[in-house]
Amino acid sequence: MLTFLLRRSLAAIAMLLVVGTIIFSLLMIVPGDPAELLLTTGGGSTTQEAVDALRKQMGLDKPILVQYVGFLSDTVRFDFGRSIIDGAEIAEAIGLRLPRTLELIIAAAIIALSIGIPAGTTAALRVGGMFDRLTSALMALLTSVPVFVVGTLLIYLFAQVLRVMPAGGYVALQDDPVAHFRALILPALSVSLGLLAIVFRMTRASVLEMRSHDWVRTATAKGLRRKLVIRRHILRNALGPVITVVGLQLGILLGSTVLVEFVYNWPGLSGLLVTAVEQRDYPTVRAVILTVAAIFILINLVIDILYSVLDPRIRL
Amino acid sequence: MIKSMEGVVGRRTVLMAMGAGISALAMPGAVRAQAADNILRFGLSTFPPSITPHGNTGQAANTVKLMMLRGLTGYDADGKLTGELAESWEVVDPLTYVFKLRPNAVFHNGNSVTAADVVFSIGKIIEEGSASFLKNDLSAIESIEAVDDKTVKITLSSPLAVLLDLLANFNASVISAESTDENAIGAGPFRMKSQERGVYIELERFADFYDTGKPIVAGIKFIAYSDENLRFAALEAGDVDLIEYLPWQNFDQVDASTTLKMTSAVGPFMFLLFNVSNPDSPLANPKVRQAIGYAVKRQDVVDAAFAGRGEELNGFPNPPGSPFDLSNPDAEWSYDPEKAKALLAEAGYPDGFDCTLLATSTYGMHQDTASVVQAYLQIIGINATLDLPDWGTRVTAGKEGKYDIAVHGTAGYYNDPDSLYSLLHSSNPSYLQSFGFKSEVIDDLLTRGREESDPEKRKAIYQELAVAYFNEVPQVPLNWRQQAYAMSDKVNGFNAFPGFLTFASPYCVDDTSFG
Repeated sequence: MLTFLLRRSLAAIAMLLVVGTIIFSLLMIVPGDPAELLLTTGGGSTTQEAVDALRKQMGLDKPILVQYVGFLSDTVRFDFGRSIIDGAEIAEAIGLRLPRTLELIIAAAIIALSIGIPAGTTAALRVGGMFDRLTSALMALLTSVPVFVVGTLLIYLFAQVLRVMPAGGYVALQDDPVAHFRALILPALSVSLGLLAIVFRMTRASVLEMRSHDWVRTATAKGLRRKLVIRRHILRNALGPVITVVGLQLGILLGSTVLVEFVYNWPGLSGLLVTAVEQRDYPTVRAVILTVAAIFILINLVIDILYSVLDPRIRL
Repeated sequence: MIKSMEGVVGRRTVLMAMGAGISALAMPGAVRAQAADNILRFGLSTFPPSITPHGNTGQAANTVKLMMLRGLTGYDADGKLTGELAESWEVVDPLTYVFKLRPNAVFHNGNSVTAADVVFSIGKIIEEGSASFLKNDLSAIESIEAVDDKTVKITLSSPLAVLLDLLANFNASVISAESTDENAIGAGPFRMKSQERGVYIELERFADFYDTGKPIVAGIKFIAYSDENLRFAALEAGDVDLIEYLPWQNFDQVDASTTLKMTSAVGPFMFLLFNVSNPDSPLANPKVRQAIGYAVKRQDVVDAAFAGRGEELNGFPNPPGSPFDLSNPDAEWSYDPEKAKALLAEAGYPDGFDCTLLATSTYGMHQDTASVVQAYLQIIGINATLDLPDWGTRVTAGKEGKYDIAVHGTAGYYNDPDSLYSLLHSSNPSYLQSFGFKSEVIDDLLTRGREESDPEKRKAIYQELAVAYFNEVPQVPLNWRQQAYAMSDKVNGFNAFPGFLTFASPYCVDDTSFG
């Protein structure tokens, strides 16, 4: 176990180094000069003199290799540095925004699980019935409608027509808890739809498979109440794969809430990344991507360890 | 049995609680506190990338800066030039300006605004190595000195007809000499309360602002909505009271609305730029550029890209509200494809040619303008391939000349033909100019216009400039666009300034109130 952890940690560090190097090189290749962009935001004019002065201030006048070595040595010391656009502490910005993206994802997961599991189970127990056919079709629709379409429709309906929800934005929990959750509902719902379809299909397939097992027939035959059979013998066994998939999906969502955060002005990690890319704020882009990569690697490590704990056949 | 009963009760309770919670959250917006706290919630088109007193970082930053920082001159509620921190001034001769500061003007740290602070601020703009926006424009300032505590004397090396307009710019603010690079101390009507980068900026009323009784609102909360549809949705839903850059497709909706209103001005303009650096390129020939000027039906650009909210621009972009009437039918284009083809043939391209047309996918109006232009170029035989990168790439491509024809839109900063100086004078090449274009005639006219103080002579110079613009074609003008702010009908006193001053409209916030 200890050697496994050591080996995996070393591999993780090497992986992060590779990710960092790739990101650094990509950013150097992408056209666009942060100094010039900043000075011409919105289409104004500037002078070459001003651009050069700002580039110097941003430290972009140094040779690329020097910048790369500086980036590596800062990263090794866990120092993300400051944004070259406004000089703000990057670690602070990530610390502020990461929890919001996590909140969005977790809220979406709760919605997806609390609807997807009962619906999937019901559909599987009455397979081929009206409910099964209707929900299956609906779920297929949900997976195929892009999230920005759903988001825009929800905003139009609830904010512009019915006017019962804010059109977007974020209110800190400590400032106003009610407003906080109001602002959370629509974006969380939008993120959850894709996940909901996955949970539904996984649950339905898994329950279908379980109900045909011998032990279910035995349980029914010995006179157990149907509810108990479902809960104890079918669901408990069927939910394992569902949880695994949801866990993996959460990791993927971490990097893919971009559109929802944009549509709803939700100030999460993805929004920070998008703005940083638009502004060519190199250190911020690198820091966000490294953070997401590190979390991803960590999730995978935890899943591996969990497997070995859950299944004695797997030895690490 | 008992166990499962518990399960049922528990579930029902949870469901009921959830239902109650959701219905509480879904309370209609009207129940929420609106303007009761007297805070103006202002929807910006983008979050200011950074706020530096003298560096230009775009319209959103300018709006926020205007709330916190003010300069010697400014604009009143009607868009007329007026004294801001300077109470009055005297033009001793075309090279000497003496400003009297307001006795009651104070900075946010409580200190009085003194001549030494003005000397410090202007000095920062024009000092060697500064990245200030106005460094070049104000380079005519030879010296600036504090005559006494409240009197400043500016001496110029050559006359500068638009000095007072330049000093009213967003990037000419007077800051306290105690300011540091991180913390600029201004004397504007509001001061910073709190902010979160990329999300919001909260300002609070500065009680000691020189203009007693103003501002009327207790504070401003700026919220950035980079998606234009969401910005409008936020206004409709009542999340904000006022938005800038009302999307053109929503003008009709606001016109028809009973709860929203708007104020707009014809100001910024759209135009085409050309890469003329390669002498073998057809576009290096002014005749070809003139042909393109005749090829585009401008009303179609207005209709397609701006929902009909704009006006054709057929010649030199003399801003609406300019002191001079420069219109000259002989120096204006019209839609005339036959003439365009004739000019092309005359230039040696009877069958047209292939080229690239650069715009950006970041701004829909640029992209739509490019599509219309592409279609009209096709008619006279020019096959343009659209190139639509993101804005950052677009700026670099423009600056490095990686295009044949490019679409752009912008505005000057004051309603005088001189505000086109930075767009047309070859001493300041940028992505806003045709790549490789240089005309000594145009340069000379721009310099003379700037250094001439007699209005009649200036008018003659700019009339000549309009003709040179038509003959040499540094740009092909397309259209003026209407620029609008939309707001809840409860907001009073916010009016768009005319012409190029439209982006200075937030000066009106001083007089804005809820009714």
